[in-house]
Amino acid sequence: MKTFEEKWTAWLDGQLSGRELAKFEASLPDKAAAEVEKADARKLRQLLKQELGARTLTNQEFFSHQVHEKIAQEDAEASQSSGRRSATTSTWWTIPRLLWAGTLSLAVFLVCTLFVVHEKTPTEESSYLTQILNARVDPVVSPNATVSMFEVKQDRVTVLWTEGLQSLPADYAAK
Amino acid sequence: MGGVSAYLIPVFALILSAIPGLRGAETVWSGLVIAENVAQPQPIPPELTRIEGPLKKFFGYNQFQVIGQSQKTLKTGQEDWLATSKFFGLHVDARGESEAGYVLNLKLYKEKELLLETDAKLSKRSPLVIKGPQIGSGQLLLVLVVE
Repeated sequence: MKTFEEKWTAWLDGQLSGRELAKFEASLPDKAAAEVEKADARKLRQLLKQELGARTLTNQEFFSHQVHEKIAQEDAEASQSSGRRSATTSTWWTIPRLLWAGTLSLAVFLVCTLFVVHEKTPTEESSYLTQILNARVDPVVSPNATVSMFEVKQDRVTVLWTEGLQSLPADYAAK
Repeated sequence: MGGVSAYLIPVFALILSAIPGLRGAETVWSGLVIAENVAQPQPIPPELTRIEGPLKKFFGYNQFQVIGQSQKTLKTGQEDWLATSKFFGLHVDARGESEAGYVLNLKLYKEKELLLETDAKLSKRSPLVIKGPQIGSGQLLLVLVVE
């Protein structure tokens, strides 16, 4: 069941016919005023059609429009790609920074390694001192000779001590 | 180019300084020393200054004179050399280098006669002193120091 407003709109548009039209017009309280309003609505519709209707483009205008569209599209693409490029170059991890970061990491690693090695070696204190691995004297020349060795950690000196070597005259002290 | 150099120079310096084997060659001073007690002792030779105290303490002499010496810069740790005086010769044969020092074979000759032979691992921080034969009123000492 249509409401009065729907029937009114359909009547203004000329879409009512036959019995429905007659019944609606009979229900109007002031048919003359309604007819005036209907005429005004028609005029308004015509005016709107004239002013707001799609204007057909001429060939020249159409071509110009296409060119402008294309330029606008290319400008948009260019601005997008430059935006992407600037986004990549502005990243913090540039190549020089990566190199310096690598160098710093290497330096820290070396310092730590040296520190660890330095910490370990003092426990092997004997490696700081000269060590005598073996010693021998000619038993024919010095049959009673003996050798002994000692390390003086305080002075960091190692001494090979011999006793009983053949004594020599003072002349042997010559340069 | 300048940026690369600025980067590479510190890196190589760092690496070189961190590798012990690539440090500068070291010099071993070896000397034949006559230790004596005299009324007016001569000043100790500069090569022995750092061990003056232990020398005097261990051997009890007040004068030390160098009668023969040799200074050898070791590059490979495989070099050999001779420190000689008029009658004595100290032959030193380096047989390798380690972090702690050099492995040395030492032979003391009196003219052509071998008096003493020893193998030692000479530390870069610790001198070696060998007591040799008695000579007159003094004593022959052999000293080796990594300078």
